[in-house]
Amino acid sequence: MTVGTAAPSGPRSVGSRWSRSPVLRFVAKRLALAVPIIIGVTILTFWVLSLIPGNAAQQLLGIEATPDQVRALEEQLGLNRPGYVRYLDWVAHSLRGDYGTSMTSGQPVSALLAERMPVTFELVLLAFVVSLALAIPVSLLSARHPGGVLDRLVMVISVTGLSVANYVLALVLVLIFAVKLAWLPAIGYVPFAEDPVGNLMSLTLPTMAMAFSLFCFYTRFLLSDIVDQLHSQDYIDTARAKGAGPWRILIVHAFRNSSFGLLTLVGLNVGALVGGTVIVEQIFALPGIGQLLLQAINARDATVVLAVVVVFAVVAVVANLAVDILYAVLDPRVRHDSR
Amino acid sequence: MRSTTTRIHSRRAALAVGAVATLLLAACSGGSGGGTSGATTAADAGKPVAGGSVTVLEDAAFAGGFPAGLDPATNVTGGANLSMNQAIFGGLFLISAKDDGSDAKIEPNQAEGYELSPDAKTLTIKLKQGIKFSDGTALDAQAVKWNFERDLKATCSCAPRWSLEKTDPITTPDDHTVVVKFTVPNAAQVASFPASNVNWIVSPTAAQKTGPDEFKLKPVGAGPFVVSNNQLNSVLELKKNPTYFESGKPYLDTLTFKSIGGDQPAYQAMLAGQAQAYEGMNNIALIEQAQTSGKFNVTIQPATSPYVIQLNTKIAPFNNEKARQAIYYATDFDAIAKGVFKGKYEVSQGFTGPGGKFFEPKVDGYRTHDVAKAKQLVQELGGLQITLGTISAVTATTINTALQTQWQEAGITVKTENYQLSSLIQQFTDGKWQAMLQTAGAWDPAAGVGVGFRFNSGAPFSGVADPKLDDLFLKAQSSTDDSVRKAAYTEAAKYLSDQAYAPFGLAFAPTNVAAKEVHGPGLTTKVPAILVNSGVNWAGVWRGKS
Repeated sequence: MTVGTAAPSGPRSVGSRWSRSPVLRFVAKRLALAVPIIIGVTILTFWVLSLIPGNAAQQLLGIEATPDQVRALEEQLGLNRPGYVRYLDWVAHSLRGDYGTSMTSGQPVSALLAERMPVTFELVLLAFVVSLALAIPVSLLSARHPGGVLDRLVMVISVTGLSVANYVLALVLVLIFAVKLAWLPAIGYVPFAEDPVGNLMSLTLPTMAMAFSLFCFYTRFLLSDIVDQLHSQDYIDTARAKGAGPWRILIVHAFRNSSFGLLTLVGLNVGALVGGTVIVEQIFALPGIGQLLLQAINARDATVVLAVVVVFAVVAVVANLAVDILYAVLDPRVRHDSR
Repeated sequence: MRSTTTRIHSRRAALAVGAVATLLLAACSGGSGGGTSGATTAADAGKPVAGGSVTVLEDAAFAGGFPAGLDPATNVTGGANLSMNQAIFGGLFLISAKDDGSDAKIEPNQAEGYELSPDAKTLTIKLKQGIKFSDGTALDAQAVKWNFERDLKATCSCAPRWSLEKTDPITTPDDHTVVVKFTVPNAAQVASFPASNVNWIVSPTAAQKTGPDEFKLKPVGAGPFVVSNNQLNSVLELKKNPTYFESGKPYLDTLTFKSIGGDQPAYQAMLAGQAQAYEGMNNIALIEQAQTSGKFNVTIQPATSPYVIQLNTKIAPFNNEKARQAIYYATDFDAIAKGVFKGKYEVSQGFTGPGGKFFEPKVDGYRTHDVAKAKQLVQELGGLQITLGTISAVTATTINTALQTQWQEAGITVKTENYQLSSLIQQFTDGKWQAMLQTAGAWDPAAGVGVGFRFNSGAPFSGVADPKLDDLFLKAQSSTDDSVRKAAYTEAAKYLSDQAYAPFGLAFAPTNVAAKEVHGPGLTTKVPAILVNSGVNWAGVWRGKS
């Protein structure tokens, strides 16, 4: 009986729940926007690759190859077809989960990605966690006493950190922690499943190299935003009038509002951070997708380049989607505006 | 193979990071004095001991890049991956030299010996008996023939450019003899082997059984080590081959190659004790630091390929000899060698380097630096505007900037262009280029594609079309008599100079850095490069107590 009564109303209830839920409608809209973004990125990548002189056939055959040899290999690799045909062919295969094989090594691209993605994603995740875990408490402590010693020290460190390129910092970190102190490895990667402690040790310096500039950036932003909230917002005065203590005002009121801006920054940083792995992975000899991308570009290995760029694009889009959803969850105004 | 030559420039692009960081390291190094550490002799090192492991770092942009895997038939970067290939396959022939790099010669390794017919068209290779691949099958004449034929059929820049007789070009009169018949004489055929994919013989049984894609990752050879793990372009882990044919070798139990992003991170990793060797250091400041640190054996290998300013004599302005002469007089490579490279590399006036078989540093009548004469010639020409190009890489672009300064002093208007490899090829193919900084030559000038690659009339990367020069190069490579060859090369170098076809410069060579306890031929002793980089004989590398 229960089944009998529930069945007809099921689809309607799901549909109406969907249409009534502002968060779900918000997510649906964002997802719909993500599709053209990813398509646009792949088209752009394909177009840019076509602009670079030479192709995989020329790279494979070298500069001594005759034009006939190059043409024959282009035909074999399908590079003689018009660009849009190759692109559509690639899209058709990709939609079936087939990213093809590397033009250089003949290895399946999906296998190459599966082998290398965990390294890069772990690095990026650690960089975010470490930078945020440091930036938030440091900003709160500094904001508690604006103009104090900590505030000034944070200012100096932040400005310095934002002025130093991550590859320079990486080399300095290696010099101090690997060469001088011999606490951490200078190069290499240990898989987590093989040795969890070794894994964290192998990623400590790369993480520091990537996280430091983020930490500085987030601290600068968060600190100034919190101080601004504390000095110019009516709701802070109201909270004070109600007798809220300084830490409560700082954390519950000011930080909560500032965290929206921070979230935006984190979302925007994902793409840049993933891109930054290209250099850091080279320096620390980490077998991630940043290293793979660089090698593929040098070899004009279009199938690998496209696959990696799609991964980067999807990560950036998903990260921004997650940020948008968090907005919607945290701030009712966003949900209502999206109706 | 020539793609390897151009790739040496690319590897230096990674040194942009090093340029900044070297200063940092220098500031933090404490300026420890220490004695200068040069190449150790076998006697200094003591008696080899068996056991232990060595991790070797290779620049990801050159020797550490193996994107197509390590099957010699498809490895487009085989000439750069000499060390990995030697460790896995051993090689039919090796180049060896005295510890100081002198008296270099091609030595049979898996081969017993060879014979070149008097017309330099038939090569007979005798193989050592009893050598087995690590899968237990025999490395015999049939296996070598199968490898040669497979290499020749490969769609790969690594395929040998052999011009063979149409009928029975490769034969095996018996189990230990392979005969190859060429249509063009080349006395340097065997000299080309150590840097060529035909040198690395794979097990036909394993190759057929495994399949091409898997075989690229885990090739099977008869070298001192076997592949245990291969992550393309990142890590290659090898373990001792228990069936290796040389008694008592290899000394090491395991050998690991790791790719790294340039000299600076590599040097720091070595200082941190995470690697025991780094092949191919180019950064002069780091080389000096390594020498004075007292922690490493630093071996600057004998150079064989000098830099050359190719002038396109087929179009203006260098179809006019006066313009070419002006470039000769305006160029001061000695100043560049001293100022930029701290005098570590010798300047050559021809296409041979100090480590080369027919090295002649001076050429009679060579036009040396003389700004007044250059200015006068430029004036007579009514001005000279040129574009000087090179590969986009730190060393090459630095030299080009120095040349630009020198030439402008002589009143020449110079625009410099830096090209990626593909764009560089395009420039040569279009034929509209004016001047290009490149490298030319080899241990034997006819080895590989030979010096003719830069100067022969028919070569797409030549700026010269001169039948007399073609004849001189052909004469030099056709004789099996080294004295005849040397005379022909000397004549060719003089002719190039007389016609002002291309000023030559310093002969640059990579440097090996090894931990004090690590020793081995080609790693801590000097061995000239066949083409670009020197080869290490990994069977003879050992690690003592640190």
